[in-house]
Amino acid sequence: MNKNGNLSVLTKGILKENPVFILILGTCPTLATTNNVIGAFGMGIAALAVLVCSNILISLLRKIIPDNVRIPCYIVIIAGFVTIVEMVVKAFFPALYEMLGVYLALITVNCIILGRAEMFASKNNVVRSALDGLGMGIGFTLALCAMATIREVLGAGSFAGIAIPFMTDYKIEFFIKAPGGMLVYGLLIALVYKITSGKGPKKREFSCNGCPSAQYCSNGSCAKEVE
Amino acid sequence: MELFKSLIVILLSSVLLNNYVLSRFLGICPFLGVSKKLDQAVGMGVSVTAVMLLATAVTWPIQYFVLERFGLGYTQTIVFILVIAALVQMLENLLKKFSPSLHKGLGVYLPLITTNCAVLGVAINNITDGYNFLESMVSSLGVGLGFLLAMVLFSGVRSRIDESEVPESFKGLAVTLIAASFISLAFMGFAGIVDNLFA
Amino acid sequence: MNRSIKSILVLVCICAVTSLLMALTNELTAPIIEKNESAAANAALLQVMPEGKGFEAVDISTYTLPSTISEAYKEANGGYVFKMVTSGYSTNFVIMCGVSPDKSVSGALCLSSGETLGYEKTFGENMTGKNIQTVEEIDTVSGATKTTGAYISAVKDALNAAIILDGGSVDIRTEEEILADNLSAALPQADGAFTKLFIVEDIGFVDAVYSADNNTGYVYVVGEEFIAVDATGNILSETETDISEAVSKMLASSVSDIDITAYADMPTAIVSASVSATGNYIFDIKAAGFGISGDAWYNPSGEYIYIKISVTSEGKIIDCFTVSQKETDGIGSACADEEFYTQFNGKDESNFREIDAISGATITTNAYKTAVSRAFEALKILKGVE
Repeated sequence: MNKNGNLSVLTKGILKENPVFILILGTCPTLATTNNVIGAFGMGIAALAVLVCSNILISLLRKIIPDNVRIPCYIVIIAGFVTIVEMVVKAFFPALYEMLGVYLALITVNCIILGRAEMFASKNNVVRSALDGLGMGIGFTLALCAMATIREVLGAGSFAGIAIPFMTDYKIEFFIKAPGGMLVYGLLIALVYKITSGKGPKKREFSCNGCPSAQYCSNGSCAKEVE
Repeated sequence: MELFKSLIVILLSSVLLNNYVLSRFLGICPFLGVSKKLDQAVGMGVSVTAVMLLATAVTWPIQYFVLERFGLGYTQTIVFILVIAALVQMLENLLKKFSPSLHKGLGVYLPLITTNCAVLGVAINNITDGYNFLESMVSSLGVGLGFLLAMVLFSGVRSRIDESEVPESFKGLAVTLIAASFISLAFMGFAGIVDNLFA
Repeated sequence: MNRSIKSILVLVCICAVTSLLMALTNELTAPIIEKNESAAANAALLQVMPEGKGFEAVDISTYTLPSTISEAYKEANGGYVFKMVTSGYSTNFVIMCGVSPDKSVSGALCLSSGETLGYEKTFGENMTGKNIQTVEEIDTVSGATKTTGAYISAVKDALNAAIILDGGSVDIRTEEEILADNLSAALPQADGAFTKLFIVEDIGFVDAVYSADNNTGYVYVVGEEFIAVDATGNILSETETDISEAVSKMLASSVSDIDITAYADMPTAIVSASVSATGNYIFDIKAAGFGISGDAWYNPSGEYIYIKISVTSEGKIIDCFTVSQKETDGIGSACADEEFYTQFNGKDESNFREIDAISGATITTNAYKTAVSRAFEALKILKGVE
């Protein structure tokens, strides 16, 4: 495999290092916004936009930002882009804004974005960082949509708001509620593991790799996992 | 009396009914990551509650006395996250200096809290729900206690999972999530209790 | 040291650039967001004015509008939409009413109807197309007279408000205000404070007598006419109506108590009785309304309705008045309304049962009628008939 190829930087986020199912990053939006396909797609695209923009900017500034204040810098940059995306969504897609609510602002603390900034953008050039952001964003969006499709079809008997004739009579509301989200996510992680048959990263515990604070947790549980 | 009642309703509904972890998925990362042992779970839960109260006490006045007054409402997210990050850092430094024993117990969880979405979430939700200062504090306390409750309950479940035979594919996060799903299902049973508490 | 200064500098720069970007985006998106939000707010307005083009809030503080109006919006073609908060009987309810440029109702909607208005939608639609003259023709919802009354009067307020906002003038005073204004006009020295007298004399065509609270005189109401009389009985107003007989009767009136324990057959409902110098009787009666006989499920208050009634010796009711009551609020409590108890005035034993009942409060109405019939029984006992 071409280890440094730009194409693989792009595609690894979609499958091999899928942020949702393999890296297990950004759990909260994954669970919270996947009870309908439209919300999940909107969330995915919003996160993608923030991810690409922040990756590009952080990569550009990677030589300027001093190491000791890099986390605050990343947070400011990411929060800034999140706010911009928030305003754009509010202006042009008010219905989506209503649907996503607080979770849109919470992209700021989504581990995927901080994680990619810390793990990738701060170490790679602009083009690769942008591709990495794009790939991760697409992977995130696809994973969200896949999960949302399962939940919405089973739980609401519809797809993207369009009712499916037979399913509406037999909808299982459990799936669009909170516990259904956790169950579907758990099952999907198991399924992805089965399909990749362990080819994904070996560490399958909750990941601290992407957590920018992991290095601080010298005595916490994270340090052991990061080792 | 009416005030007391409404505060009780806010408190109970944020502990049980709208439990941030189990029904809104906020703060799910530490919930899944740091709930393996009871003492870890308690330490994290207490730290989160403390930071939530502190963050609300600071962000609420900022929102109403600074941001709204100067028409800067759109900078809410960035200001809140910076305030929370600064608070967490300050709290850690203070603990380190004045109470090393407490720092040893709780300090390790503090940096994790900056990126805990439940803290930012509760600060923003208090504003969106239009709560006054007292209600905001009570709601933060409720959310924090709800988080602690979920962590403690789940640490018990986790220890049982660790002892049991789990199929290869389900090992690790998959089975943890499925177990969390059942706890969440149990919490759905609280729906209606709070509404009818004073009916 | 140098390193930390550089760190701070970089952080500050990044903050500044981010803020700049955000301010820029806000500049671009703020007008669109505002437009979206007002469009969402207009969606509610469009429900009562489907043809509405654009709405603009009207500052209602600069106009004298009916007190129910809480918000007003002007539509581009000259129509108006009003939001009103009225008082029905358990909660305040919010009504939206659209008034088209030709001053007819374009739609009415009750936003929060916690009351018994089950088919509010059709009721609101019935209003559509009505104007100030025809709006009264709406059938009230039976069992919810007060609610529908409040609804209709809110719509009337909206129609009047539209005329006022267009520069017209409308009498928006309530009936009580009109009465108070008329009384004050007749007897200015009373400073607007009047009490309605309970009449014990048969004073013929005089409808009501009001006494000034500061004892400066009386106002006699005869039909539409308000006639002022001073404390010593001199008629102050210029009038062709001769009320001198009534005035002298009222001035000479004196009442003495009757010891009802002396009459063995006296109905227990009679609390006390007295007789005037002219031979008319006055009874205080208690009526076992819903408060006493009501279904225990509805927490009856345990209180009687206390009624004062004056009767001529021939058995004609002169005046009737509800002194106190604790019937179900909003239903039976209507027995304390002047509209209800003045129905008995001028009636006699043969026809006093022909009054209009309080809707939804059969037990209260029947108890009231029974109490009145006790007055006739007591009258016969006192006069020694039978």
